[in-house]
Amino acid sequence: MSARRRFGMLALALLPFVLAVVAVGGVMFLRQGGFAPYRIPHDGSRVVAGGAATIARGEYLAHIGNCAACHTTRGGVPFAGGRAFTTGYGTIYSTNLTPDVQHGLGDWSAEEFAHTMRNGVSRHGVLYPVFPYAHFALLSDADLDALYAYLRSVPASAVATLPNRLEFPASWRPALIAWRMLYYRPIESPSPASTTPVDRGRYLVDGLGHCAMCHSTRGKRGSLPPEGYLAGGIIPGIGWYAPPLDSRQLQRYSVEQLADYLRSGTSAIGTAYGPMAEVVYSSLRGISDEDANAIAMYIKQVPVHPTRVPPAILAPNAAPAQAASINGADVYEHSCADCHGADGEGKDGKYPPLRDAVAITAPDPINAVRMILYGGMPPTTAGNPRPHTMPPFVQQLTAAEIAAVVNYMRQTWGAQDAQLTGVDIEAMHGIVID
Amino acid sequence: MSNRLHRILAIAFLLYAAGAAAEDDLEDRLAACAVCHGKHGEGATGSEYYPHLAGKPAGYLLEQLQGFRDGRRINAQMTWLVQFVDDAYLREIAQYYAAEPPRTRAADTGASDLTEARRAIAEKLVEHGDPEREVPACSECHGKALTGLEPGVPALVGLPAEYIIAQFGNWREGIRRGAAPDCMHDVANKIAPEDIRAIATWLSQRPNADAERPAAAGSFVPPKACGSLPHAERRP
Repeated sequence: MSARRRFGMLALALLPFVLAVVAVGGVMFLRQGGFAPYRIPHDGSRVVAGGAATIARGEYLAHIGNCAACHTTRGGVPFAGGRAFTTGYGTIYSTNLTPDVQHGLGDWSAEEFAHTMRNGVSRHGVLYPVFPYAHFALLSDADLDALYAYLRSVPASAVATLPNRLEFPASWRPALIAWRMLYYRPIESPSPASTTPVDRGRYLVDGLGHCAMCHSTRGKRGSLPPEGYLAGGIIPGIGWYAPPLDSRQLQRYSVEQLADYLRSGTSAIGTAYGPMAEVVYSSLRGISDEDANAIAMYIKQVPVHPTRVPPAILAPNAAPAQAASINGADVYEHSCADCHGADGEGKDGKYPPLRDAVAITAPDPINAVRMILYGGMPPTTAGNPRPHTMPPFVQQLTAAEIAAVVNYMRQTWGAQDAQLTGVDIEAMHGIVID
Repeated sequence: MSNRLHRILAIAFLLYAAGAAAEDDLEDRLAACAVCHGKHGEGATGSEYYPHLAGKPAGYLLEQLQGFRDGRRINAQMTWLVQFVDDAYLREIAQYYAAEPPRTRAADTGASDLTEARRAIAEKLVEHGDPEREVPACSECHGKALTGLEPGVPALVGLPAEYIIAQFGNWREGIRRGAAPDCMHDVANKIAPEDIRAIATWLSQRPNADAERPAAAGSFVPPKACGSLPHAERRP
């Protein structure tokens, strides 16, 4: 048999596999939206009337979307970008959204802006999914125009976007097309901006609010599979657990209490700490009563997803010998009961109850441990202008004592089989500040 | 007494009571601060690295709190606590500690480290500066008694040597920054490291009466228009 003939036979034998790969790939490519997302409208000319009312509306929407929180460094020029996001693949820096022509959105048309917001592909290539384009795809044309008009009205800042520091293949933008083929499914059509309050709530939660970025259970490679929708999960990169937003988790809140919590960062039921404190401080404290109520009404009726338990971030450690000698109830009585009450009931608007608190009932103990180690201060808001603070205990309690008191609280009130040891607590040491 | 006088007295009492309650209340609210800085900002015995806050000028304390929040001053624990706090509450916190009696007697931490020659160098820098290198005397801005100047310049007495040395290091490295123009960054970079140690040790040994307050606002004008001072040349 000649070499040529042998090659021909081999090619014939492989043909079905090649065809299958092409077919599957083609279907997957179509399912992530086909070629349409990659066609950037370069010659957009639609004029958005930047009247005061539109700009004010855009400013409100930018607050709800919390654009500035991600697109501003600590103490930096608002919307000039540069904040670092730590992912499992490296560090990604947010971009400059100010009207600077060279570094910002100065020469972007309304069409290009809307296309990027909805498709996650810009003139710079495919965007990383830390940018919540799958959520922003829901936005109405009018809301996108208002955001565009507002961003054009902020002072231009010539801050260059820092290059990302990512590992291969994530560092190669075309690899994101493969990621999209596997995990990104564009929504069919934008939902109406407002009909009933629950619809309005859903529009805000799933659209601008992009709540699922923290509150959903993530799947492989940072994806957000539908079965994890608002089912709670570990927030990538910063070591906090975000609770589910569904009818079971939020049962203990009335709509009014939940709306209060969103606006003021505190309520009789619970108080915002960690990343939620940031969301309240930079976004939700400016939300209208109507929108806060709409969000509360919507998330209170999200059905409970029969999702798998979020993966615990800790490997169980062998309990050290002295662990048994530390009584968590004693630690609680000495260090916690003064403020949080002997029975974890809290104190009228000053100190939050612990009985049903997320930190106590969550499958992951990280929030409780972080709060005890480093304390906290809720965000200042109109409804809570002078918050009470939680003292850090990192210098006052040993790691073993913290483990014991967390186990005690989670077993007593959270029905959690908590078996933390001092070694686990030490593994959770460290403040993440960017 | 007339009804009217009764009413005025009643209102005055209520206002006084409300004011007192707000202050007591703040002590409760700031339990997190007390762990390291003491209940009244007096500092915690045995942990000299954490500075006392009591009696420091309110404007200075506010600038530090804003610095931790906005990234001009780096301390992970401080930023963690104040990052979502607005100016109004930070100002109230600053005023609360500023109103407490100052601690102006530091723990003497380095007596044996200071030879006569080093002592002379420290004294010269503190009281006369180093005109050749354009280093102003400490006392020109921090006051003749080195007890600071309201509302923005802190006292240099009452601080442990380790704390002062750490701050100089932070200014040199840009870990601690003042509002621009950042005078202390410039000054810290012009003083030799061994002289910084001498100054810090000398300051920590300075005998001083307790509870001496910073000089009144406007009682003298510092030669440098640093960023957080009232006569600052504001730079955008």
